[in-house]
Amino acid sequence: MYLATMPNVENPTEKSLAALAINDPPAIEELFANEKARFDKQLAAKNPDEVNFNLMKNAWLGRKAGVLTLITENWLKPAPPSLKPAVGQSLNQLKRHIEESLEAFRVAAEKASQEGATSRDRVDLSLPGVLRPVGSHHLIRQVFQEIEDIFFSIGFSVVEGPEIETPYYNFEALNIPEFHPVRDDMDTFYIDLPKGASTPLLLRTHTSPMQIRTMEKQKPPVRVIVPGKVYRRDNPDATHSFAFHQIEGLAVDTDITFCDFTGTIEYFVKQFFGPSVKTRFRPSYFPFTEPSVEFDVSCPFCGGTGSSNGATCSKCKGAAWIELFGAGMVDPAVYGFVNYDARKVSGFAFGIGIDRLAMLKYGIDDIQVFFQNDVRFLRQFP
Amino acid sequence: MKVVYNWLKDFVDVTASPDELASRLALSGTNIGGVENGPHGAVIEAEVSSNRPDCLSHYGIAREVGAIYKLPLKHVSPKPAESTAKASDAVKVEIQSPDLCGRFTARVIRGVKIQPSPKWLKDKLEASGVASISNVVDVSNYVMLELGHPLHTYDYDNVRDHKIVVRRAKQNEKIRTLDGIERQVDSNICMITDGDGSSAVGIGGIMGGAETEISFSTKNVLIECAWFEPVAVRRAARFLKLHTEASTRFGRGADPEMAELASHRAAELILQLAGGELLSGVVDVYPGKRGPKKIRVTRAEILRVMGADVPDKEVEASLSALGFAPIRIDQNRGAEGSLLAAWECAQPSWRAEVEREIDLIEEIARIYGLDKFPPRLPAARQGAARLPHYEAETRLRDRLIGLGYREILTIPHVAEDRDALFRPEGVAPARLSNPLSEEANVLRSNGLVTMAAALEWNLNHGQRNARLFEIGRHYHLKGNTSVETRVLTIGTTGEAREKGLYDAAREFSFADLKGDLDSIGALAGALEWRDGGPDWLHATKRGQVLLGPNAIGAAGQLARRVADKFKFRQDVFLAELELDPLCSAIRIVKDARHYEPLPRFPAVERDFSLLLADGTHFSGVTKIVRALGIAEITSIEATDFFRGKNVPAGKYSLLVRITFQSREATLTDAQISDYSGKIIAALERNLGAQLRAQ
Ligand SMILES: [Zn+2]
Repeated sequence: MYLATMPNVENPTEKSLAALAINDPPAIEELFANEKARFDKQLAAKNPDEVNFNLMKNAWLGRKAGVLTLITENWLKPAPPSLKPAVGQSLNQLKRHIEESLEAFRVAAEKASQEGATSRDRVDLSLPGVLRPVGSHHLIRQVFQEIEDIFFSIGFSVVEGPEIETPYYNFEALNIPEFHPVRDDMDTFYIDLPKGASTPLLLRTHTSPMQIRTMEKQKPPVRVIVPGKVYRRDNPDATHSFAFHQIEGLAVDTDITFCDFTGTIEYFVKQFFGPSVKTRFRPSYFPFTEPSVEFDVSCPFCGGTGSSNGATCSKCKGAAWIELFGAGMVDPAVYGFVNYDARKVSGFAFGIGIDRLAMLKYGIDDIQVFFQNDVRFLRQFP
Repeated sequence: MKVVYNWLKDFVDVTASPDELASRLALSGTNIGGVENGPHGAVIEAEVSSNRPDCLSHYGIAREVGAIYKLPLKHVSPKPAESTAKASDAVKVEIQSPDLCGRFTARVIRGVKIQPSPKWLKDKLEASGVASISNVVDVSNYVMLELGHPLHTYDYDNVRDHKIVVRRAKQNEKIRTLDGIERQVDSNICMITDGDGSSAVGIGGIMGGAETEISFSTKNVLIECAWFEPVAVRRAARFLKLHTEASTRFGRGADPEMAELASHRAAELILQLAGGELLSGVVDVYPGKRGPKKIRVTRAEILRVMGADVPDKEVEASLSALGFAPIRIDQNRGAEGSLLAAWECAQPSWRAEVEREIDLIEEIARIYGLDKFPPRLPAARQGAARLPHYEAETRLRDRLIGLGYREILTIPHVAEDRDALFRPEGVAPARLSNPLSEEANVLRSNGLVTMAAALEWNLNHGQRNARLFEIGRHYHLKGNTSVETRVLTIGTTGEAREKGLYDAAREFSFADLKGDLDSIGALAGALEWRDGGPDWLHATKRGQVLLGPNAIGAAGQLARRVADKFKFRQDVFLAELELDPLCSAIRIVKDARHYEPLPRFPAVERDFSLLLADGTHFSGVTKIVRALGIAEITSIEATDFFRGKNVPAGKYSLLVRITFQSREATLTDAQISDYSGKIIAALERNLGAQLRAQ
């Protein structure tokens, strides 16, 4: 106002107090009030942006020729000692006011600049970023890992064994003599050996041979799981593959009972499918376990009701239960093959079909996709 | 086995609904395929396990039902009227092979009238899924379904000399069976023959012969009700590829004691349906009669195996209902629940597989209910261990995934000709003696056979960019034994970088493969590369991969010759490395890691633009420079490489960046100049390198 109304009056900050004929505190206060008003007026007239911010900051706080520097040089420094305190105090107040106002102006400027930015400058968030290629574990491997981790956490070690086996380990030592009816259900691939080979070789039909190999090597307590590939001579279709994956489990000790067995299996299933699934053991028959069981879980997809959304549950076909795998207490006859004393030790064994479990859990309706390795499938399970 | 619900009621007064009954059966050990309601009432599909031949009959299932519901089993006691004429005068039986046939009973009925069966019989057979033929034949099927014992009926008049001789088959013996097929048997097979035993009228326990078959003109009937040795029957059925209702039952173990009862029952029904005169008595040759067998079960063992108790009366009720006739024999006989309780049981003739205490415990547990044994998680006694290479393999796998590789799993069965493409010379492949097809007749002797197939699948399905790895095995034979080798295989094709918004596309090249392998190799110290490699790789884009002094695999671009076999129209890069040495090295390197203090003085880089003769390798440059023994050299890198403009033919230009750094002091210009001079001189002297103007 001062400058606007009195354009011809020279800038008072360029003169000393004496030259302005100011000699008492009220006059000093008025002088500073005028400067404050001048600053406020200038600031209010400007759009908040970065250029104006720099302009104002320079004009008022600039070290060489800013208004405050001039005041310091022309008013404060030459002031007589009687006025110095009043000038100093007012100067500090003015300085604080200017700094605060300018900071607010800068915040406003930044906000305005972001809001006002043209759409040309702004990133399009719907466009992809630069995607570097990433890999993935095979789904079967992921399920293996998950199951291994669960059993590892309750004291099961992991072991592996050969896929090419002898009939002794695959059958005989598991209490499956030649011509046992169970052999009819395990159609077996044999290796073509040179004439005169004394021991036939076959592709293991289950991971159970490692029960024998483990017990041969180690005295109880035994707690192992055996992940691996197994082979049965079945014609491939949506639910059969002549190669598939299993995890064998074996626990033998001086005090393992059926209750420990069902407890272990139940623990596994609740970890794998969630705590709300119910479990059921049905008596069954395997030559290398006794008592043998088939193990069922309440269908995790329909909550064990057999129907979902009013229709028959597609996963359990309305049965409310899903058969998961076979298991049981190790048949004492098996201990005879590994020199364990069947009167002193007991244990349990199980064999989990991994492919089937993965198909169940992820709704896969064709086992062949696991082995085709189509990248569109692999990508679905990062 | 189709269990007709109403038929069960002949033997047990079950009141539970068919569905309820089915689920109780399932929970006590009879697997149930389903329950269907048909025109003859409910039919339960029982999937009887191979150890329970006794359950392949309505009578046997009824026994289970009785045990479950604690209902009495109604016994079968047929009372056919017999004439005064003796069967033993009408038929003679001789068993020459008691190891194959443990019992043979024969009965004769004269003057029957063969005609269609009455409706009730047809209905029951139909509900069981058996076709009705004629009254006499139907009776034998009916009795088998009812009591579980297979019978065979002969036209008595066609049995030569009215004599049966049971013997081992002769070499190359042939027989035409009921189904009209002529079959050749082997000498382990039990034959039913007639007269002097020269010609066969049936294969024991499997199928009768066509010659003595019952026809509508049959007047006199010979009923065979025998017992055949289970293993021999299974062997024979497998040899003949002939699996019948009879072979299933005898093969799993029929009840030898049932033979006489079933014969009685059949005679009763034939008299009822076809009339005639039943000759008195049974001709019964029974060389395989088993003595009584006692089995003991104790509470201590029940507790040791099952981990929870079963009350005395439940032990006794279940064993009694199943026919084991338990008797308490311990000192504490009066005391219920005694820890010393012991029972002596008799093995029933229909449960030959129950021989041991554990077998009885299973019987008790399944009838008592498996849900009555409370689950508990046993405490672990010792620490668990991962696979020996678990950690190294995890590091490897994570690195590969970080580099953009997707893991695959393949089936090792491949076609012989494909395997041969990748098979190292002198390796004997593991061929299958019974492959499912020629496409899968050998186990891969190199992991890349199936890797190439996975790339092939993707290319054939429109996926032209793939970067894959597999951790698996390859196989071969060494003499009569098999060798399985764990391998890491890598396969890539298509773009290393796909065209995107911000970048141009770039095809995968050998350098990408090498870089990725070196990234993995860094985990194991470092890989060495050597010229050469298998001939399925491109002659100029391949290398052997070494870890220390040992070759662990090869990598490169697939040779055109092999790529053509797969009809690959784009470049494919493959590598196979042996996993075990790699993992061992990863483990050693990881364990040997230690901290290097960070340098306090600045590093100085110098670029050397060299003109080298073709065939001079970068490794030659580094070797010469390293040989100078300048301790301050911290790295030697190739940073640019070109041929062509301003480069004379036969030469190429290589820009080498050498970094110097001292741990003691800042290096001076004079020192750097001194080092540079020595380097240039050495390269000129040893490699004929020329320094280009910089
Ligand atoms: Zn469901």
